[in-house]
Amino acid sequence: MSDLYDTFSNIVVFAYIGLLLWLYFKPARSDDEDPKP
Amino acid sequence: MFGNPLLLVALALTGTIAAWGVLDTAGLAAFAARVVALQFSSRAWFIMLTVSFMLIVSLGLALSPYGRIRLGRDDERPEFSTVSWLTMLFAAGMGVGLLYWGTAEPLTHYLLVRDYDDSRRTADVALFLTNFHWGLHAWAIYALTGLVIAYFGFRRGCPSLVGAPIVKVFGSHPLARGAAWFSDLMAIVAIAIGLGGSVAMGVFQVKEGIDALFGLQGTGLGLTLGIFAVLCLSYILPLTVDLGRGMALLSNTAMAVAGGLMIFILLAGPTHYLMGGVVQAVGEYFTSVWVQGFRTFTFMDQRIGGWFQSWTLTYMVWWLAWAPFVGVFIARISRGRTIREFLCGVILVPTAFSILWFGVFGGVGFYGVLNSDLPILEVVQTNVSGVTFYVLGQFPLRFLTVAAVVAAAFLFIVTSVVSAAFVLGMFSTGGDLNPSVRVKLTWGVILGALGLVMILSGSIDAVKSIIALGALPFVFIVLLLVVCLLKALKTERPPARPGRQEARP
Repeated sequence: MSDLYDTFSNIVVFAYIGLLLWLYFKPARSDDEDPKP
Repeated sequence: MFGNPLLLVALALTGTIAAWGVLDTAGLAAFAARVVALQFSSRAWFIMLTVSFMLIVSLGLALSPYGRIRLGRDDERPEFSTVSWLTMLFAAGMGVGLLYWGTAEPLTHYLLVRDYDDSRRTADVALFLTNFHWGLHAWAIYALTGLVIAYFGFRRGCPSLVGAPIVKVFGSHPLARGAAWFSDLMAIVAIAIGLGGSVAMGVFQVKEGIDALFGLQGTGLGLTLGIFAVLCLSYILPLTVDLGRGMALLSNTAMAVAGGLMIFILLAGPTHYLMGGVVQAVGEYFTSVWVQGFRTFTFMDQRIGGWFQSWTLTYMVWWLAWAPFVGVFIARISRGRTIREFLCGVILVPTAFSILWFGVFGGVGFYGVLNSDLPILEVVQTNVSGVTFYVLGQFPLRFLTVAAVVAAAFLFIVTSVVSAAFVLGMFSTGGDLNPSVRVKLTWGVILGALGLVMILSGSIDAVKSIIALGALPFVFIVLLLVVCLLKALKTERPPARPGRQEARP
């Protein structure tokens, strides 16, 4: 396997994990406060 | 139908893959194998981390106070009794795969493991690896995906779509809407390709069964295509008329036949040996499952690495491919249950059943290998689809049991294709609970074409690669869905424990 591909592929994964963490800790939207349907 | 861009793009994408496969089957299989090998080499750690993370999140949610939150209004109660709910969960999990791999998978792992460890523990390890592929991790993938769909559908009023939670949590920002749209599209592609693989596997098995029943030799592709044609005719009728409970009846019949077969093997075979194997498998499974969930075989040789890619990783992405399909089904039957009931029921009960199933079917295979001169291992190496029938051939009432497996496999495929055409129709029309006959039939044709591609590819390894290709993007999507769920739960106030005062004002 090409090292370049491997590096790029894993950078995408690291970036995605970072994005998910940021989304999780980002404050919720105000209209999410009431959970009732 | 033509005013819906998602439906058009999904049909174009899956139709193109199907057309490519029909015109150049070997080319598609080779392309899929190359891409999947690259992805698996590079991202094995990420896939294993994802599936273990999903199991940990599932158990964490089940044990946390959020486990008391109800999937529906707080005063809602379950629509189905616990017994019929658990029976329906079995039906969701008891696909054609269990019939196909029951004896074949433990013996295939045995062939590898014995080259590294020639003690009698080889069979234990082979059975453990099989149970790992079909156990807690697999069902945690289904359960968490189903939980996201059920929670947002029944508690937050979202349509039953994979992308709906993303818009609900992150708002209608173009990026969120784009991610939701892409998730719906990828869910459709993953389901369609995953189901095509199941169709192929089922048809291979039915063909081997018919060969075994009538003692046919070298029937080849002709009989396989004939069975495929009968299958296509069989699912057209249920797609055009609403059979209502008829489909549930067919699915339950297939399940009853499979369950009856397991009991027959257990009682007609060496019962003490099989039960001993099952009990041992339970202990082996629960002591090693956590470590195995994080194992990537990084420091092992290339042969083990290849095995890991073509079995463990392929299974995990296969479950991910099926997750939206099975998730919608288990969500629909679980309205009114608490998150704890949902997760425990969906993860633990089918896992226990799988351990019993492989303990019996794998155990009978090991009995043949270790205590007789039967050439079962040669059959596994030369004709994996025929192993189940070879084993059944050693029991009384051979004609009846082989016919039962053929009938059950056929029923499983018909009911799966009909349910998948419905779910694909629903996903591709914005969550419409009654997709038109035209949309369902269109999906029926695409599913048939994808099944044909897999059949023409002629090998179960090519089928696995093509399924993995369709499912790989879903690894990313499923994690985003888990973030949506956890974020939404943060805004909930878990109900107090029954009989205890509310802790907070």
